[in-house]
Amino acid sequence: MKRSSLSLRLAAPAAALVLAGLTATACAPSTSSNTESTKDSKSGTIRVWLFREVNNAPKEKVVKEAVAEFTKKHSDTRVDVTYIPIETRAEKMKAAFNDPKSAPDVVEFGNTDTAGYVNDGGLADITAEFGKWEDAKSVTASVKESVSVAGKVYGVPWYVGVRALYYRTDIFKELGLKPPATQGELATAAHRIRAEHPDMFGISVGAKNVYGMLPFVWSAGGDLAEKRGDTYTAAIDSAASRKGLKTYTDLIAKDSCPPEQCAELGGDAGVQTFAGGKAGMAIGGDFSRQAMEDGAVKGKYAVVPLPGPQKGVISPAFAGGNNLGVMRGTTHRTLAVDFVELLGGGAYQSKMFDAMGNMPALTDVQEKVADKAPFTKPFVETLKSGTKFVPVTSAWSKIDSEAVIPTMMQEIVSGRKSVDAATADAAKKMDAAFSSAG
Amino acid sequence: MARDIAPAVAGAEQPPGRDARPARRRLRPAARGNRPPAGRGPRHHPGWTPWLYLAPALMVLAGLLVYPVYQLGLISFLRYTQAQVSGGRPTEFIGFDNYAALFRDDQFWQVLLSTVLFAAACVLSTLAVGCSLAVLLTKVRAVPRTMLLLAALGAWATPPVTGSTVWVFLFDSSFGPVNKVLTWLGLSGFEDYSWTYGKYSAFTLVLLEVVWCSFPFVMVTVYAGIRAVPPELLEAAALDGASTWRTWRSIMAPLLRPVLVIVTIQSIIWDFKVFGQIYVMTNGGGIAGQNLVLNVYAYQKAFASSEYGLGSAIGVVMLLILLAVTLVYLRLLRRQGEDL
Amino acid sequence: MSAPPVSPRPHTPSRFRLPRPRRPARPWRLAAEAAAVVIALVVAFPLYWMVLSAFKPEGEVQSAHPRPWTLHPQLDAFRRVFVQQDFGRYFVNSLVVAGAVVVLSALIAFLAATAVVRFRFRFRTTLLIMFLIAQMVPVEALAIPMFFLMRDLGTAVPGVGLNTLGSLILPHLAFSLPFAIWMLRGFVKAVPETLEEAAMIDGASRARFLWQVLFPLVLPGLVATSVFSFISAWNDFLFPKSFIISATENSTLPMALLVFFKPEQNDWGGIMAGSTVMTLPVLVFFVLVQRRLVSGLAGAVKG
Repeated sequence: MKRSSLSLRLAAPAAALVLAGLTATACAPSTSSNTESTKDSKSGTIRVWLFREVNNAPKEKVVKEAVAEFTKKHSDTRVDVTYIPIETRAEKMKAAFNDPKSAPDVVEFGNTDTAGYVNDGGLADITAEFGKWEDAKSVTASVKESVSVAGKVYGVPWYVGVRALYYRTDIFKELGLKPPATQGELATAAHRIRAEHPDMFGISVGAKNVYGMLPFVWSAGGDLAEKRGDTYTAAIDSAASRKGLKTYTDLIAKDSCPPEQCAELGGDAGVQTFAGGKAGMAIGGDFSRQAMEDGAVKGKYAVVPLPGPQKGVISPAFAGGNNLGVMRGTTHRTLAVDFVELLGGGAYQSKMFDAMGNMPALTDVQEKVADKAPFTKPFVETLKSGTKFVPVTSAWSKIDSEAVIPTMMQEIVSGRKSVDAATADAAKKMDAAFSSAG
Repeated sequence: MARDIAPAVAGAEQPPGRDARPARRRLRPAARGNRPPAGRGPRHHPGWTPWLYLAPALMVLAGLLVYPVYQLGLISFLRYTQAQVSGGRPTEFIGFDNYAALFRDDQFWQVLLSTVLFAAACVLSTLAVGCSLAVLLTKVRAVPRTMLLLAALGAWATPPVTGSTVWVFLFDSSFGPVNKVLTWLGLSGFEDYSWTYGKYSAFTLVLLEVVWCSFPFVMVTVYAGIRAVPPELLEAAALDGASTWRTWRSIMAPLLRPVLVIVTIQSIIWDFKVFGQIYVMTNGGGIAGQNLVLNVYAYQKAFASSEYGLGSAIGVVMLLILLAVTLVYLRLLRRQGEDL
Repeated sequence: MSAPPVSPRPHTPSRFRLPRPRRPARPWRLAAEAAAVVIALVVAFPLYWMVLSAFKPEGEVQSAHPRPWTLHPQLDAFRRVFVQQDFGRYFVNSLVVAGAVVVLSALIAFLAATAVVRFRFRFRTTLLIMFLIAQMVPVEALAIPMFFLMRDLGTAVPGVGLNTLGSLILPHLAFSLPFAIWMLRGFVKAVPETLEEAAMIDGASRARFLWQVLFPLVLPGLVATSVFSFISAWNDFLFPKSFIISATENSTLPMALLVFFKPEQNDWGGIMAGSTVMTLPVLVFFVLVQRRLVSGLAGAVKG
């Protein structure tokens, strides 16, 4: 008797809930009105999100300088700069899109995310301002493409990110090694270094370093996806892609970079390991230079383009680059654009090169610094030999934030799945993302 | 508490005929004997007063708990991804599609299995450690007792984020003292051993931390329970020549049962919902997601992948599982004739 | 539940008279005490290591040969934490959030507990069951609808939307209320009803009785309850992580701590110093209320 009375007491509210749920589908959770704000306040605080780099101090210094210059010009404004971790940027950015009121005004974003962010309605269309910007003339068509969607401009290119092979000159000399000219030589060198220096990684490559892996896939003739008509289809499970991927994941093994440590390594961590003197080689970018200079390997490293499978071929690099954009919901549009044009302008691109090694995106600045520094040579060489890019679709943002590719690599290096099985699974997930993006 | 338990024991001595009494009577043992029901204060026509007192609580709960739970259920029936949130595409009622997608996904079943096994392991270890230490507390003098109590309070007070951080550091492959000690003890396999690399070693590490920060609740509560057992009962049992086992079975166990039910249920609820530890210690779910539990899985689906509908469906599944636990709890309470 | 075979007997002095708690024979007791001390040390070790690492110089923290002591204690890590990370600000934010949750939930739970204990009315049991079920709701699963709720609330009521401390206080209030009500019932019950009758006869109004008689008597219970509300609000990093979007000045301690986790290399000294700063207030609070806590737990257990 008591049992029934108790369950009755429970059943009533439960039933009410279910009923309410079934009948009230009309009042779905509201969507954010991600419309452009009509307000354009000329004073107050503008919030800026920039990425936290491996060695962030020099970046902060340059940005501080820019902020000082900016606030001198606009005396009643404050610029609040936050450095956000690249790994969790997707979460932060989406939260910002979901509540434009709480969003920052200016953001740094990777060119792989342009399509996704625009699709989510997060970035402001600044085509008009871009047209009037004095530095716009130094933006090449292909670089402009990386900040544009359907002919509209959504940002200012800040720097070009190209990766190449860093190696330890002292270790190579000690072991009588030559800078690797093929991927086979690269593996041999890695094994030698690990064997002679068991406390070092032969090469610090990680299962989370997507942009370090891609050149291996591309140089083997594979790709992440193929474009057929308007839609992409995953190609990471093709024979060529698998071959290239295997060349890379074979480096993450006991005899060069043990998976216990390297399965969790991303690009930044790989660079840091090398900078700390714990690796014989690393795949790093132009933007990693200052981290090396401030690390234990200062004066003991050199850079060559990442070799291909055969001699005389350079592996196609990922055409990375970071941009500065204005958020669509900003209530300080004019100020935000001003700040973007200042920090993204020639003067500060040049300063960022001096501070970090970031290769300027503006051609005139690029030429200027190329004369100055022999450091840029391997990167320019890599750029000239041709670069490749990830699928230009909003689905890539999703694939990226779901960590499809890192998960695939981790499954392979931890021995949980074969290359075939892991790539097949990844391809399935990618295709699902492509089809849901339409 | 001693005073509270005594009448319950006295009640147990009553003739078996008691069980035949109407159920409502059993629901409210407090009403029995001590004072006549009519003496229960101004309770005959309370009118609106109780609702007035309840109003703030009900308002907060309705707005901030019931409504979000309702929304959670609602979103789980919708196609609700970033495009819908941003207003790019209309939301669409898709019935059980999210659930169907979930149940088709191998990873979900894997995560569910890990969650249940991990929670079970945590609950059992926490209870075993907590209860044995509670018994230990009753057998020692003041100084060691205070030491253990203080240490336990310290572990209890440590926030999960800091606790997780410290434990990860203790087990760090190169800087952590644990590997050094294990190597020093002759277990050379632990030199530079990475605890977070393997699925089971990572879960073990998290389990150790969870037990460390949650056994104090069990220990202190059970200890309070043991202390509350009326000494006369134990004395009398000893006079009767009852064995230790018999004393435990006949006196301690029935008296401690409500305490044990509470700590078990609370442990289940807490350990099933472990979030911070997994998130911090395995860096959001471990290598290739091997250490995901439902809670973290739902969070990743919703906030990293923007699959809000799918994330909500996982949330609903969790809620239903915990609700089942609650029902078991209510049944146990009721069987004891507990007054709500 | 079988009835224990206890028969009342005239009290006679006995050789077997057992003091309470039952003490085992001497060697066993010594072994038990040794075990208790060792276990206490093991349990306290992580905390010791945390504080130690916070005071160690950088080189010793990240050393291949960690030592369980340091000869050069220093405050560098704390300086890093407070200067670089503005921990002071986050500390205050955390205090504001936890404090507001504690005070509000104590007041609201006190009223609610009084209602369900001192009155009989329709739906009373249903309500109690709802309070119990509410405790089972997984906070993390609700982060999704909470996010949208807070966003919309922010449009209607400025000051509680996303990015503000209000968006942290409200959810915690909701999540700590059910347990607080559940726990407070025991304390309200423990206050004799005759007191209320006496007050009524003296002509005190119900409100006066409530605040001037009942409230002070239940205060110890409120303190015990507040430990749980405080801890849940103080420790949480899910809501600040999801709700404090760009307003770093409204961040709380757990978020600030996560900043020290860097993909490349963790600043363990800073992390440990931050952890120490974060743990200390909770520990102090705990030690202050530990007596009440134990009796509070017993009360909640008894229900």
